[in-house]
Amino acid sequence: MTMVEVPGEFTVPRRSWGDDEVFDREMQQIFRHCWQYVAHESEIPEPGDYVLRKMGRDQVIVVRDESGQVRVHLNTCRHRGVPLCRADSGNASHFRCSYHGWTYANTGELRGVTYQADVYGKGGLDKKKLPLFSPAQVDSELGLIFATWDPEAPSLRDYLGDILWYLQLIFGKHPNGMEVVGTPVRNIVKANWKTEGENLSGDGYHTTITHSSAFDLGLFATQKDLVKLADDVAPKFTGRTVDAGNGHTMRIQRLPLRLQGNHYFGYPKEMWAGFDRMLSPEQQQAMSCLSVGHGSVFPNMSFIENFKTNVDGPDLHARYARITVRYPIDATTSEQLWFFLAPKGADPEWARLSRLAYLRTNGPSGLFEIDDTENFVGISEASVGDVSRTLPVIIEGGKHHPEAPPELGWPGNVVDGDKTERTIRAFHRRWSELMDLPAGDAAGTGAAR
Amino acid sequence: MTAEVVGSRADVKRARLGDAILHSEISQFLAYESELLDDRKFHEWVEIVAEDFVYQVPTPRTPDSPFKPHYDDRSLLIDESRWSMTTQWFRRFDEDIYEAAWGENPPVRFRHLVTNVRVRLTDDPDVYEVRSNIALVGTRQSDLPKYITGERTDRIERRDGELILARRWVVLDQVVIDFPQLRILL
Repeated sequence: MTMVEVPGEFTVPRRSWGDDEVFDREMQQIFRHCWQYVAHESEIPEPGDYVLRKMGRDQVIVVRDESGQVRVHLNTCRHRGVPLCRADSGNASHFRCSYHGWTYANTGELRGVTYQADVYGKGGLDKKKLPLFSPAQVDSELGLIFATWDPEAPSLRDYLGDILWYLQLIFGKHPNGMEVVGTPVRNIVKANWKTEGENLSGDGYHTTITHSSAFDLGLFATQKDLVKLADDVAPKFTGRTVDAGNGHTMRIQRLPLRLQGNHYFGYPKEMWAGFDRMLSPEQQQAMSCLSVGHGSVFPNMSFIENFKTNVDGPDLHARYARITVRYPIDATTSEQLWFFLAPKGADPEWARLSRLAYLRTNGPSGLFEIDDTENFVGISEASVGDVSRTLPVIIEGGKHHPEAPPELGWPGNVVDGDKTERTIRAFHRRWSELMDLPAGDAAGTGAAR
Repeated sequence: MTAEVVGSRADVKRARLGDAILHSEISQFLAYESELLDDRKFHEWVEIVAEDFVYQVPTPRTPDSPFKPHYDDRSLLIDESRWSMTTQWFRRFDEDIYEAAWGENPPVRFRHLVTNVRVRLTDDPDVYEVRSNIALVGTRQSDLPKYITGERTDRIERRDGELILARRWVVLDQVVIDFPQLRILL
């Protein structure tokens, strides 16, 4: 698949990050149609295990039924609308409403209506017609569970398309699989739901500015760290970005090490052979000497694998994997969920270091997030003024970057160049298609295509 | 490294409450410690903290039973040491780099309110398990203040005659945390 970048102005009006009408339209046009990430299979390993999540602004129960199938149900009784689940997670074969006691199996079937003959008369209520309301499609890839309300939506595999190859790099390279470690942290961010995803889609441009202090603190690999990893070190990090179609994107930055063979720095050497087994040669090349890899699955899920240095003392480096999701609350408010993932059965000492690498950099209390969040909040704060909301943002970076050599073998539209905004354009190209706004509308993207 | 280090509820039952003078001394210590944090005198704060200090906050959650804890210690929100806080948190306030520490410039103004201090003696006469209730108020720029509450379990030790903070474990009450930033020393 080739997507040619059209020269010229690519702008998005700033009211897209703070306007109620745009937000309401997003809820209808995007969140009622797109596949959305709801949970990782490791969070609900046993029959009856459930977690409470959201699709757009709707709360859903993600539950493994007694036969082992993963189900997703709207968390609301079909009778008078009271939520059935109030805990964040647990185990239940049935869900019983606290108001009038209607009871549902975890498959979603309505099993019991209290005093049915008394209240509704004989044949007055057909339980078969009132199962819990559920998304039209639920499916998973690599342990990642997604759901969509749209029966017309393509299959999950088709929806993910080329990004699946990149998801395998992070979530598909461990022979024993991965697991989400514990309950996700949740917090409120006073920012539009799109801002963090835009950044994680592949913004290699902001790094040295927003995260300038992280260089001073030793959390980015410097020449001093790199010469201990390889004899031959190039002066400059290199990066590639991928427009994987459907608004999904990825950025991969490599450590500037000239080495033969694969070197998965940040993991114990004993794990490296497993990665070679699980990944294709092209995928191995993408993950060897990784500095950072991150991307987004449209609309609101992002993922990152990051090599962080000196996280618990000099020369203590590790990689970690994280998923974040933004639930829209209103035009300038989101709820963010943070999932830390670990390879199953990993060496406990390394797993601890990986956790520290995560928490201290890209965890909810990590250095990078503190600085990033200030930008995200600021964008929404400064996009609600009567004048500022009419101004465009400029998302023009990296249009001149060359396509990557085809022999690289990476799917999607791959470009050599790290400081770029092309992944943000890819997000907004998809966004504007789905929003289907009339030409010239202030919320459209102007000469977007 | 996580929950077991701070003593279970059962350990607490066996411990005796500290006497009035000790209670006063430790309350004063905690108030002084809060003052250093609120005034951002981090280099002085480090001096009353043990070299092997560990600060952890487990992830708050709504459990499916009143008999389960409202936190999950398999996943953490914060896991820091004196070394990491010195080199990665407080270093950001140093003259040479604070201007690019964007998230903390201007800094969120923090106000620690520490109450209900309970001192428990342990088998070691120089080690105290101290629980307290904490309300932290954070005010970012022109925003209205936000607050977060929780229960601290501290290990405070007497080393060479001086009190030092050896460990801090904080259980938060709020599940979806709504606070100016999550890099918080509760």
